Amino acid sequence: MSLENVTTLGAAEVGPATDSQQPPGRLWLSTFARNRLAVIGLVVIVALLLFSFVGPLFYHTDQIHTRLAMETLPPGKGRPLGTDDVGYDELGRLMVGGQTMLEVAFGAAALAVVLGVLWGAVAGYVGGFIDGLMMRIVDALLAIPALLLLLFLATVFRPSVPILILVVGVTAWLVPARLIRAEALSLRSREYVLAAKTMGVRAPTIIFRHIITNSIGTILVNATFQIADAILVVAALSFLGLGIAPPATNWGAMLSDGLNFTYSGFWWLTYPPGVAIVLTVLAFNVVGDGLRDAFGLDSKHG
Amino acid sequence: MIRFLLRRCAQAVVVLLLVSVIVFCLLHLLPGGPARAILGVHATPTAVAAFNRENGLEGPLPVQYWHWLTGVLSGNLGFSYVQNESVASLLGQRLPKTAFLAGISVVLAVLIAVPVGFYQAVRRHRAGDYILTTVTLVLYSTPAFWVAIILIDVFAVRLHVVPAEAPQGSFSEVLSDPHALVLPVLTITLVTVAAFSRYIRSSVLDELAQEYVRMARSKGAGSRVILFGHVLRNAAGPVVTLLGLSLPFIVSGTLITEYVFNYPGVGLLAFNAATSQDYPVILGVVIVVAAATVVGSLLADITHAVLDPRVRTAAGIA
Amino acid sequence: MSEEKVQASGGPVLRVSGLDVDIRLPHSVVHAVQDVSLEVSRGETVGIVGESGCGKSTLGLALAGLLPPEAVARGSIKLGDRELVGLRERQLRAIRGTEVGIVFQDPMTSLNPTKRIGAQVGEALRLQRGASKSAALEAAADMLDRVGLPRPREQLSRFPHELSGGMRQRVVIAAALICEPGVLVADEPTTALDVTTQAQILELFDRLSDELGMATLLVTHDMGVVAGHADRVFVMYAGREAEAGGTQTIFDSPRHRYTGALLGSVLRMETPHRSRLGTIPGRPPDLTAPAAGCSFAPRCEAASDDCAAAPPAASADGNHRWSCLHPLDSETAQAPSGGTR
Repeated sequence: MSLENVTTLGAAEVGPATDSQQPPGRLWLSTFARNRLAVIGLVVIVALLLFSFVGPLFYHTDQIHTRLAMETLPPGKGRPLGTDDVGYDELGRLMVGGQTMLEVAFGAAALAVVLGVLWGAVAGYVGGFIDGLMMRIVDALLAIPALLLLLFLATVFRPSVPILILVVGVTAWLVPARLIRAEALSLRSREYVLAAKTMGVRAPTIIFRHIITNSIGTILVNATFQIADAILVVAALSFLGLGIAPPATNWGAMLSDGLNFTYSGFWWLTYPPGVAIVLTVLAFNVVGDGLRDAFGLDSKHG
Repeated sequence: MIRFLLRRCAQAVVVLLLVSVIVFCLLHLLPGGPARAILGVHATPTAVAAFNRENGLEGPLPVQYWHWLTGVLSGNLGFSYVQNESVASLLGQRLPKTAFLAGISVVLAVLIAVPVGFYQAVRRHRAGDYILTTVTLVLYSTPAFWVAIILIDVFAVRLHVVPAEAPQGSFSEVLSDPHALVLPVLTITLVTVAAFSRYIRSSVLDELAQEYVRMARSKGAGSRVILFGHVLRNAAGPVVTLLGLSLPFIVSGTLITEYVFNYPGVGLLAFNAATSQDYPVILGVVIVVAAATVVGSLLADITHAVLDPRVRTAAGIA
Repeated sequence: MSEEKVQASGGPVLRVSGLDVDIRLPHSVVHAVQDVSLEVSRGETVGIVGESGCGKSTLGLALAGLLPPEAVARGSIKLGDRELVGLRERQLRAIRGTEVGIVFQDPMTSLNPTKRIGAQVGEALRLQRGASKSAALEAAADMLDRVGLPRPREQLSRFPHELSGGMRQRVVIAAALICEPGVLVADEPTTALDVTTQAQILELFDRLSDELGMATLLVTHDMGVVAGHADRVFVMYAGREAEAGGTQTIFDSPRHRYTGALLGSVLRMETPHRSRLGTIPGRPPDLTAPAAGCSFAPRCEAASDDCAAAPPAASADGNHRWSCLHPLDSETAQAPSGGTR
């Protein structure tokens, strides 16, 4: 046997294919679980959810009727965080405020992600002129300052939880649209997509079963950051006086109200809601970062 | 490169046109129609008719749109009945002040965030990185208005080094009182640095993981050559694009800052207009700010293309 | 390359003895290279073969002085008279590119996408020899011509993405060789290229090896690459040497069971119609927990108890070395598992 006749048809991978310990589909879970900071963030989120929604079942306070005789009392017996300027128990208020905050944040994020993913996936998959037009619309909406638009909308509509969700979600869907469009662009030339096309699978099915499912990492990461951003937006809106009418409240409104009393030294009116906001946003950001690492996405995604 | 420029500029024009269409729609979505919304609910039919006639709000919508668009392009942004001044005039007074405030803050933010982001990436997982990451993360998660209030509390109220309120008056008056500008600028800068340095850190880390860095090392390059001769240029591109994309974020931050510090800029103007339902002003601000954002994005993309030749041949602009 | 040529070239340019490389991870240590010894002479090409994860890339990096900070090397790597093991970063920097060059697998990522070709090829000259920009560009144009790039002067001002894969790899090779190092490490240099381009690049290596007289280490998992272009072969398994010798010898009469299995799993022109390609059962070993005995034993059909007891000592026959207690003899070598000849 002479060496000149030894050729390889393609690079001969020597040895059997290595099977990894877990199927790649669940790999991100274990990577995420190993990120201590991200896990702590997740725990904080769960804790806050429990605090806001389950808390009131154990800690009963009246959040409807004001008691002006009990206004701005510092923390003491029976009132772990004192009372606010109309007599509501601050700790109870924090729970109620948390409910609204989290409802709006999750709702707005969900709306933004659903809208954005659909828009972006269709644009990226279809391509061509339609893609161009859809993305120019996104660019145009992005150029319009969201806060201004929100101000405008909030003065026209009386804010309530659903309205806030709508308003915040409608300004937030643009970023996921761009991200998913980029994913769709790169995925649509993958072989399994081309194969599906050749088999006659219709576009909507391809978009859902292949494009969107394979962008799930980007979607999850962005959804997490959306929640964090929504909380900050609601807080800013409430600070500017465009939040929900009392007796409903949210942490942003509580902080904003409390800021009126900074110089009076009523620290329990500002720090609890403020810290709650920072903690929650921090937690979601950290979880978002962890998810991004777990899915192996780079900084340009999410 | 030329083809890229032409394509990007054409896209920008399309976007601006779309913005104008959106604003026009907003104008006509006002409750009761634009005339009634602007003149107030008590406006008489004659006044409404006169208003419509004067402002070209008669006839089919496309004609109205054309009339309105040509008006805008020639500088007619409407008239504020609330403030009894033309929108263009109001904006003309306020725009330089806001541009100045935002401009200085962004420049400072970039000057701080780039070295910080680089430092964090290079010293990854060491003490310096952890501290900076924590600080920026917390800052990033804090609402801008709270940052502003804390700064006021510490530096104005307790330490008395700077005033709590921003300078008032015209542009030149504002400039003549730099002390009062410190806190507003600091607020926007801090909030922007927090966002930027996170991104820059990731960007630099991504570049350092690239194979060409290893290749450069194999030729004898040391850390300084790699950072300044290779990574800086490659990481700069995405950072510039980030700047372009952050314009809406910076606008929001500026608006809140102007509100907290009572800075007589476009943001405060817009807020007051929103609460007093002065629609011409709101819409005028929207048009101008949106146009500025589109142009800013365009410039950012062009700079990115200058820095990274791959972008010039990219098939699709994300 | 024959014995006489080796003697005439003045002895080995690269001499590795007892090299151990450990990579320290947060929760474990990977024993990537264990007790490796080999020699390469001027103008010689040695193929370092093994499957993914066998430590051959780490070995390549060690020889190029490019081990990451988490790696700890023990033993000896001698480039001429210079000892590499134990050198500090600054000292290693001086030999990179000048005494030893390295070419990586993917030419697209090895080149900085935002820098022009000319600048990247001449970079080592400017860094190490203090050449001026124009001098470096001149030398780059020369080198690009030598590696067979058409219209070299025009290419100087182009960017990497404007070139095809094969051309890019030539650029990378030119960049690695611009200071004319005595040793070139090529880590999977053709894996990212199509078959025709592969052949061209490998011929380029042959030609440069003759012209510049450098010692070449072809690190690859592809037996075909080694067959046509290496003078000697060094087979690695689980960080250790399994077998080493002249290429013809190894292919004609492999001794280590692993080598035999490797050769049996490769498709050849003379493999008979309808025969099955051999496969190696089991999984590659975990390098964080090296076996006490022969690492291949769990997957070897001829393994016995003493195989697992201690690492097999090396047997030799002239230049042919193997570490196997149950080596293939000339008969069994004719009939690799699952196939027929």
